[in-house]
Amino acid sequence: MEQIQYYYFNVPIMVDALPVMLQGLGLTVLMALTTVVIGVSAGLLLAMLRSYPTRWARWPIIGFVDIFRSLPQLVIIILIYFALPYAGIQFSPFWSTVLGLSLVLAAFAQESFWAGITATHRGQWEAATATGLSHTATMLFVVLPPAIKTSIPSLTNRIIAVTKGTALGSAVAVQELLAHAQSIQSVVANPSPLTLGALLYMVIFAPMVAFSRWLEWRYRWSS
Amino acid sequence: MTSAPILEIADLRKSFGKEEVLKGVNLTVQRGEVVVLLGSSGSGKSTFLRCINRLEEPTSGTISLNGVPVTSSDANLHDLRKQIGMVFQSFNLYPHLTALKNITLALRLSLGQSRKVAEEQATRMLSQVGLAEKARSYPSELSGGQQQRVAIARALALEPQVMLFDEPTSALDPELVGSVLEVIRLLRQSNMTMVIVTHELGFAREAADRIVMMDKGEVVEEGAPEQLFTAPRHQRTREFLKHFTGR
Amino acid sequence: MFLDNFFDVDAIIYTYPLLLDGFLLTLKLVAVVVPAGIALGTCLALIFALGGWVTKAGFIVYVDTFRSLPPLVLLVFIFYGLPFLGLQLGSFVSAVVALVLNGSSYYAEIVRAGIVAIPKGQWDAGRATGLSRFQTIIHIVLPQAFRNIVGPLLGNTLELTKATSICSIVALPEFLRAAQVAQSHVYNPTPLVFVALVYLILLWPLARLVSRMERGIATR
Repeated sequence: MEQIQYYYFNVPIMVDALPVMLQGLGLTVLMALTTVVIGVSAGLLLAMLRSYPTRWARWPIIGFVDIFRSLPQLVIIILIYFALPYAGIQFSPFWSTVLGLSLVLAAFAQESFWAGITATHRGQWEAATATGLSHTATMLFVVLPPAIKTSIPSLTNRIIAVTKGTALGSAVAVQELLAHAQSIQSVVANPSPLTLGALLYMVIFAPMVAFSRWLEWRYRWSS
Repeated sequence: MTSAPILEIADLRKSFGKEEVLKGVNLTVQRGEVVVLLGSSGSGKSTFLRCINRLEEPTSGTISLNGVPVTSSDANLHDLRKQIGMVFQSFNLYPHLTALKNITLALRLSLGQSRKVAEEQATRMLSQVGLAEKARSYPSELSGGQQQRVAIARALALEPQVMLFDEPTSALDPELVGSVLEVIRLLRQSNMTMVIVTHELGFAREAADRIVMMDKGEVVEEGAPEQLFTAPRHQRTREFLKHFTGR
Repeated sequence: MFLDNFFDVDAIIYTYPLLLDGFLLTLKLVAVVVPAGIALGTCLALIFALGGWVTKAGFIVYVDTFRSLPPLVLLVFIFYGLPFLGLQLGSFVSAVVALVLNGSSYYAEIVRAGIVAIPKGQWDAGRATGLSRFQTIIHIVLPQAFRNIVGPLLGNTLELTKATSICSIVALPEFLRAAQVAQSHVYNPTPLVFVALVYLILLWPLARLVSRMERGIATR
């Protein structure tokens, strides 16, 4: 029992490690926020584009979504960081991770929004076009608002899943939370920094998970 | 009739949180008797019925089956439910099982019968309700009336001493109601003890030995059907019947 | 030059055995982790459904804890942290434990939601005919629940399959790791591209199916 406390909850070590780990936490949060902004906007844009009745929009978007739903996040990040340079494109570790995760989130977000858009009653579209609204205007003012509201529960879960991938940044040497936890751990030969890291990750994600549960509880009577 | 009553319910109370839904209900049922519970929604009649086989746990009061109290905490729920059969308003057939398997499931798990014995019993029951040829059909392939008759067969298969019916025809289209009432009539002829909650006043008048009128969690009046229908004593009973029969 | 670099067939031929071993290990990992995750998740969901409020609260704490932790953090903790207690699990077992703990939490949530969605009348019918709660859930509720949750189960299986690639970070020689090692041998990104293509070809049908099933539920 004491062993567990010494190795995994060693307070002096954790206190020492805290400042550096908080820096890592900051970077993790920055990566997560950047990913969410880029990914969700891109996903929304793609879902809107997909609604236009031309084939040229639909197939590439579906292709994009299929690719980024089939590939593991880490594979995408590794490809961007290690393979693209051979084509002359070099992203920093930070941007390799964020770009990779954003592409995945964009694909998932597009699916969430698209499900919300297609759930819109046919009648809404007809009523809007009958009063002379263009496709774009209908989309923006009539269809999107309720569609976005419907897609929030599934979108929240996706965001949680993808932003947890920021930890993968440690594989391409991003100095985020996990990376710091690991390096401190190897220096002090004690896994308490890992415990601290895990707790800090939970500080970020547990509220999001709780929020997602609350949403599920609130929406339990609809559909 | 010299035998002791089959079912004795004394001062049954049930509260959901702060709300008291049953305020001390008493009922005695004799073997072979058909008791119909009437009342508007909210009167507590369904809750009362569900307390008898303890699908709802009474807050206080006693229930005795054949003189044996069944409300004590160590009473065997398992045995109780083998002796009391229940038919639900929404049938509650298992959609993933055929009619036959709907019936054999409890026979095998609850009574421990072998597959062969259970299937024989189930087939017998289905014949009794006139649906022998539907043994291999799934509930989705049956009409509402047929589903309810299978549900009755399922309850009868355990050979209970008492049958409880919770608005058995309320969820049926009017033209299907008759087939279900016919089955209940046949059960009455075979002297099955039954407690029925229903809105079918014509049927109640014809089939009941005794009618119990409930309102706001209490029994307001009880008596023979003729007496209740022609000369109701309590004001609530009069109001209720007027609403239904337009008299 | 582009083709030479990214689609160098010789590089694949040269590193083929390495890549094949990696592929088989990934397959092995998936074959262990998915059934174990579903089994554990189902057991947890059953415990939730049959237990009192204390059990239910415990379930939520357990599941949400593993949903709040990136699987890589869990893996690193098990692989690098547990040896200090004398528990040296090795990379494969560490990977299995981490992925099963993580995956089973999501599976548990899915099965739980499926069970809760079954109408109460089904429970009533089972209990009224003398079945115990356990018998009722096993024979009546769970079969119906499973028919309804096939979509989410497949979706989570897809995610779990993709997650096996994180094990490359603890040097488990699975498919992604094999690609990285191969790349260091031939100084050429072709192995990476090749592995990505294989993932794509194999997982695309499942991803497509899951997308279709998700949309089917939303438009009902």
